[in-house]
Amino acid sequence: MTSTLEHVAHTEAPQGGGLARRQNIFTGFLGGVVFGWASWAIAHHVLDQSSRNFSDMVVLFLTFGWTVGFWLGIGALNGPGRWLIGRDHTRADDLYYAGENQGVKRYWKFCTDHKVVGVQYIVMTAVLLGAGGILAMAIRTELIVPGNHFVDQQVYNGFIAVHGMLMILALIVAVAGPWGNFVVPIMCGARDMAFPRLNALSLWTLVAAAGLLLTVLGVGSLTMGWVVLAPIADQAGIGMDFFAMAIIVFTVSTTVAGVNTICTVMTMRTKGMTLARLPIMVWSAIIAAALGLYAFPYFSLVEAQTLMDRVFNTSFFIASGGGTGWLQANLFWLMGHPEVYVILIPAVGALFEIASVMARKPVFSYRTAIAGMAGLAGLSMLVWAHHMFTTGWAPNLGGPFMLTTELISLPTGLFFLVIVGTLWRGNIWMKLPTVWLFGFIFNFIIAGVTGIYLSDIPIDNQLHGTMFVTAHFHYVFVGSVLFGAIAALCFWYPKVTGRYLDETMGRISFWLVFIGVQVTFGAMFISGMRGMPRRYSSYALLFEHTNFITTIGAYMIMAGMLVLLAAVVRCWSHGEASGPNPWQANSLEWLVPTPPPLENFDVLPVITEDPYNYGKELVRS
Amino acid sequence: MTDNKNKQSLKGMYWTWFVLTVIGVLISVWVPSYLMPKSMSDSMHLSILTIVIFSVAAAPVAAGVYAATLFALKHWVHKGEGVPEAAEPIRENNKVVAYWLIASTVLTVFLLIWGLGALAVDNGNTGNNPLVVNVTGQQWVWSFSYPGTSVESPTLVLPEGRTVVFHITSDDITHGFWIANMGVQVDANAGAITTLHVTPNALGNFNIRCTQFCGLNHAFMVTTGTVLSANDFNSWLQTQSQKA
Repeated sequence: MTSTLEHVAHTEAPQGGGLARRQNIFTGFLGGVVFGWASWAIAHHVLDQSSRNFSDMVVLFLTFGWTVGFWLGIGALNGPGRWLIGRDHTRADDLYYAGENQGVKRYWKFCTDHKVVGVQYIVMTAVLLGAGGILAMAIRTELIVPGNHFVDQQVYNGFIAVHGMLMILALIVAVAGPWGNFVVPIMCGARDMAFPRLNALSLWTLVAAAGLLLTVLGVGSLTMGWVVLAPIADQAGIGMDFFAMAIIVFTVSTTVAGVNTICTVMTMRTKGMTLARLPIMVWSAIIAAALGLYAFPYFSLVEAQTLMDRVFNTSFFIASGGGTGWLQANLFWLMGHPEVYVILIPAVGALFEIASVMARKPVFSYRTAIAGMAGLAGLSMLVWAHHMFTTGWAPNLGGPFMLTTELISLPTGLFFLVIVGTLWRGNIWMKLPTVWLFGFIFNFIIAGVTGIYLSDIPIDNQLHGTMFVTAHFHYVFVGSVLFGAIAALCFWYPKVTGRYLDETMGRISFWLVFIGVQVTFGAMFISGMRGMPRRYSSYALLFEHTNFITTIGAYMIMAGMLVLLAAVVRCWSHGEASGPNPWQANSLEWLVPTPPPLENFDVLPVITEDPYNYGKELVRS
Repeated sequence: MTDNKNKQSLKGMYWTWFVLTVIGVLISVWVPSYLMPKSMSDSMHLSILTIVIFSVAAAPVAAGVYAATLFALKHWVHKGEGVPEAAEPIRENNKVVAYWLIASTVLTVFLLIWGLGALAVDNGNTGNNPLVVNVTGQQWVWSFSYPGTSVESPTLVLPEGRTVVFHITSDDITHGFWIANMGVQVDANAGAITTLHVTPNALGNFNIRCTQFCGLNHAFMVTTGTVLSANDFNSWLQTQSQKA
């Protein structure tokens, strides 16, 4: 839609217009609620109310109505709708949907500008992290002393699942969402994503899914951890139906986003931007997107089957009907392990970029960096059953899966080599992004080493299902991915706002979160080694001290994140002005004005070398 | 490579590496066996030993990365205001990449061989006279029965020095059967029987905890067990049979 090369005439801001010009997030919610309610009413009329699956069926109608209504309300279907009736968008329409001359209003609506979508993803990540974080605080407060009754036990069990799922969603989008949208197209020298409407659709579909997921808290009864293991899922109330539909809607969002990222990088690169000249961040974005396209269909499949078991009386996962929970576990982890690297790889790509810019040196061994990320993505498809070592499924496959899992340490080892090699004898500029980068290095070592234990079956037979596992993957997700995401935020924040993130507040936040992570998850490792299982609402006196310490550490992390949030909000309007290229970097996003104009470039640049030659006068034409 | 920086001695880094490795090895040797539950079987012993071995193997790698990072923080951080000037570019160093790959492959292969060996030992044969115990999980209790007798018990009583084979199933949903002092666990699945074997080698009490989330009272699905000497076990079994 943005074939602007042949179109140079400036277009007037659209005047008037029909209902379609008044759509925004509020009409989206209105549409979702109205359609959801209408579907609910229809379901009550057409369905057999005596059926034991009646309430599940109603939820299916309701969630479907909500999603479609939300799309209609926000205007996601306007483009294709008009095309269907033979009135395709004009250039003025396209510019309207890209938010031209609409100020902050454009952030509240279905906007096709990739930079607006990027900012919307920042907000969305913050909302998801905030909601998940509040649940984490509730969980830790419940566990501060044994036998505490801060929240009801059933509610607590629901919190465990929703905390997990919210945080997974938050981290899936934490780097790939904001920066995969905001900077990756500019890095390629593109005027926008390949499919700008799909781009906006992926963001707003995520909002619809998050709405469904938060509804789970309202209707209660999702008491089986975020993996929603079968057959316990069949016991749950209607919260399970909302959860499954949230996931199905979410996978629509990731699929659309993944296809869009890959198409953008493959087809929209400017002249001279060969694959070998791409900033390494772009490689991480497409590798993660491709891996997501492989992984997430399993997620919607497994949730669809869970729904069918509940709504249509099938027995995919129910033993009494001839099914097996092991099928659910296999499908879930076929998604579950690649998903970890869908989350990790963009964060690592951003850190490669940051290490290079801040050490004023090229990325050490660019090819090794790509090989590491691609190798990790490839291997991740072959390791899923290490999550099932103790389920009793196929004990004879233990050895082979142990092999593939331990091979993971080769590509992850390359990440360290590339980062340390990039810092090696550099002139390291110690600014906020660099601080978080060093925090990442420290935590990712701990995450990696403890992962090796769990890949080994004799150890896993002891530690599986304990807090040790919880601590391990929190070192991966909080200690590593979140640190990478925050480093990326500090790094590209000046590009979005034209202002630096406040150095002092940023460092206070860093130390609170960094020490908080060591305290929280360090003590959690000890709880696990001493034998405390996961997902406990209460525990024996034996685990008293380490749990108390973990809770204190968790409060520190929360305090640090709140300081960061305050800094982000405050500096958006009051931060120190940064100019267009504060880090003196050479990749294209730094060479356009700040904030980048609609469609980014007046004239598309021609690329003659990769962006890592620092200290050379760049030829700009 | 005429820059002063490039002639800079890396001695400090090697010392840090050495010291951190020693600290790492000491932690690896002492901490796991101190923290983990009392070992009551060879499987548990093997779990702890493997954690120690893996930690010792990982210590030099982790220490190396930390030493390089600390050295970078000490020597290579730009001092003064403003943008640091460009550093000498190092785009490729195939030798370093090759050494790194060889070292990490050797370590991984070692871990793998050790792991597969340990797994084979763990899975070793069950002897010629194993005791069979049927384990059934349901929300939120375990029950144990001893085939060939009429004994059913809410706690698990095992003889010392004799291999026990557990046949595990569930009446409702999936539970995780874990003997926290013996380094063994497997899920209890409805409609399927999973097996586990272990040879208790110490007398005393042990804990059984559910490791698979199973609903409201998951946290309270705990029970204890006892390892008795072979004679005590036989007399326990007889008294229980008479009761039943």
